[in-house]
Amino acid sequence: MERPLLEIREVSKHFGGVYAVNGVSLDVKQGGICGLVGPNGSGKTTLFNTILGLYRPDQGNIYFNSSCISNLAPHQIYALGLVNAFQLPRLFLQMSVLDNMLVAARGHQGDRLLNSLFLRRKWQEQEKGLIQEALDILELVELDKWAFSPASELSGGQRKLLEVARGLMAKPTLLLLDEPAAGINPVLGRSIFQKLKDFSHNGTTFFIVEHRLEILFEFASWVYVMDKGRTVAAGQPQVIIDDPAFYQVYLGEE
Amino acid sequence: MDPLLYVLDLIVYIGIFGIVALSLNLEFGFAGLANFGKVAFFLIGAYTYALLSQTGLPFYLCLIAGALISAIFGLLISLPALRLRADYLAIVVLAFGEILRLIVKSEDWIAGGDWGVTVSPAISLMGASHRVDALVNIGLVYFCLFICFLVVQLLANSPYGRAMRAIREDEVAAEALGKDRAKYKAQAFMLGSAIAGVAGGLYAQYLQCVLPGMFMPMVTFTVWIMVLLGGPANNWGVLLGAGLVELFDRGANMAKDYLILPIDPSSLQYILFGALIIFVLLYRPQGLLKESRIKTKAIELARYGRSATKNKGS
Ligand SMILES: Nc1ncnc2c1ncn2[C@@H]1O[C@H](COP(=O)(O)OP(=O)(O)OP(=O)(O)O)[C@@H](O)[C@H]1O
Ligand SMILES: [Mg+2]
Repeated sequence: MERPLLEIREVSKHFGGVYAVNGVSLDVKQGGICGLVGPNGSGKTTLFNTILGLYRPDQGNIYFNSSCISNLAPHQIYALGLVNAFQLPRLFLQMSVLDNMLVAARGHQGDRLLNSLFLRRKWQEQEKGLIQEALDILELVELDKWAFSPASELSGGQRKLLEVARGLMAKPTLLLLDEPAAGINPVLGRSIFQKLKDFSHNGTTFFIVEHRLEILFEFASWVYVMDKGRTVAAGQPQVIIDDPAFYQVYLGEE
Repeated sequence: MDPLLYVLDLIVYIGIFGIVALSLNLEFGFAGLANFGKVAFFLIGAYTYALLSQTGLPFYLCLIAGALISAIFGLLISLPALRLRADYLAIVVLAFGEILRLIVKSEDWIAGGDWGVTVSPAISLMGASHRVDALVNIGLVYFCLFICFLVVQLLANSPYGRAMRAIREDEVAAEALGKDRAKYKAQAFMLGSAIAGVAGGLYAQYLQCVLPGMFMPMVTFTVWIMVLLGGPANNWGVLLGAGLVELFDRGANMAKDYLILPIDPSSLQYILFGALIIFVLLYRPQGLLKESRIKTKAIELARYGRSATKNKGS
């Protein structure tokens, strides 16, 4: 049997006395959209940062495409095809929207010191194609008009969209999105999810944290529910909705 | 003193320090590395040049060797120092510069200790006047400046420069987008040190000596003022900064002879430098020229194509 794209096995991460992630195990299968929900502070972002290599898990292992990534540096994890869009956008604010996209481009020849000086013709040619790709993705999130503006001029919602677009630009096998629809109007939020779903036919799998459950549940094929650092429920959205554990988590929060 | 010679001398200084300012711009302006030990690499270039030129090696090989040795030191110190937080990096390299100066000062066998050693000029024409000598130096210095400018400018406007700027803006995000930040920083530090090494060699052969006193920490701070004043991440800006700071330095030096001050006049220009830097940081934190955007052929094409169609539509 084929192994899942991402396997998380008994992963824990604590900050001082706070067990932000406490013995989480879950799988993300290849294809489509997998959701992760849970109340504020349940450990979703911490789990994502641990997958990305920004935190080293205190316990447990993470496998991506069957290889263990728990001890890799973030840039190595990117190289394997696992990319992330941060909950709070981390843009390169002094740079243009297009340059933000191009930083994320995979396999740009001119990224290397000597190539940048001595293979100019080659990377210039490659960059033309990358710019076209970047503009196409920016169009999906309605940012193409801002391509040449500094990222610092974008509104909060637009920054969020650029963060997502930058993730797509990296042509990931698995893209982690931390609340992509937060701060974006619901109509655009839904249309973004629709576009992500379309994008997943090109071989990108999405693992998405989202507080807007109605949108997420419409598009996700599987959902995990986290509470206090643990996964408490998992299943298809229509099943999860009726799961008492899911209810408890969300009602208990109030 | 011959006023023309004074001007020619000023032009040489602007060229040499312009090169150092470019090297700091590469490290700080583009890659965000606060190198407070710039003078260390300037010193290494100068002493390498001085010692090698005594063996009769041609001057261009001495310059290149100075750049290489400076680059090696840059790499060696950056490997441990770059793992530290930015402010610790600053302290480590600052201390490194002082330690090097104290070593060449107290170890006579290296290069004459406090007395230094004399260095023969790179190009000496028989029977040439001082003015001609200065002109020859201007040619040599500005040729090197041109090469260094070209390298830094090409890097700044390439995907490599884009990655460096991204690391400066947010190193965690850049790393998560596949940029090995440790590698980029070490390379920027190495290249910056090499360029400062070239400037050091030029300085040694222009002054025809190396002395420990030429490499006080103040040199580092002067170069910082050039970069901050002119505009970090703008290569034209830092050259402008180099010119202005040299002029300012000379002006303050001259003014000392005419002013009667209640303080030790020898430190006047340092006080003025301090005031200048506070003024710049308060009122024009981006420097005189703001950061230059990344220009590659492909980007210009995409941009130009767009504005052309926009004009047609309107
Ligand atoms: N760097 C950190 N240092 C200390 N504590 C942290 C850190 N990051 C997260 N925490 C704590 O870990 C817990 C989980 O936080 P996390 O951000 O992962 O939650 P979340 O599920 O993403 O919440 P939200 O829905 O609000 O984004 C919280 O109690 C938080 O205070
Ligand atoms: Mg979160």
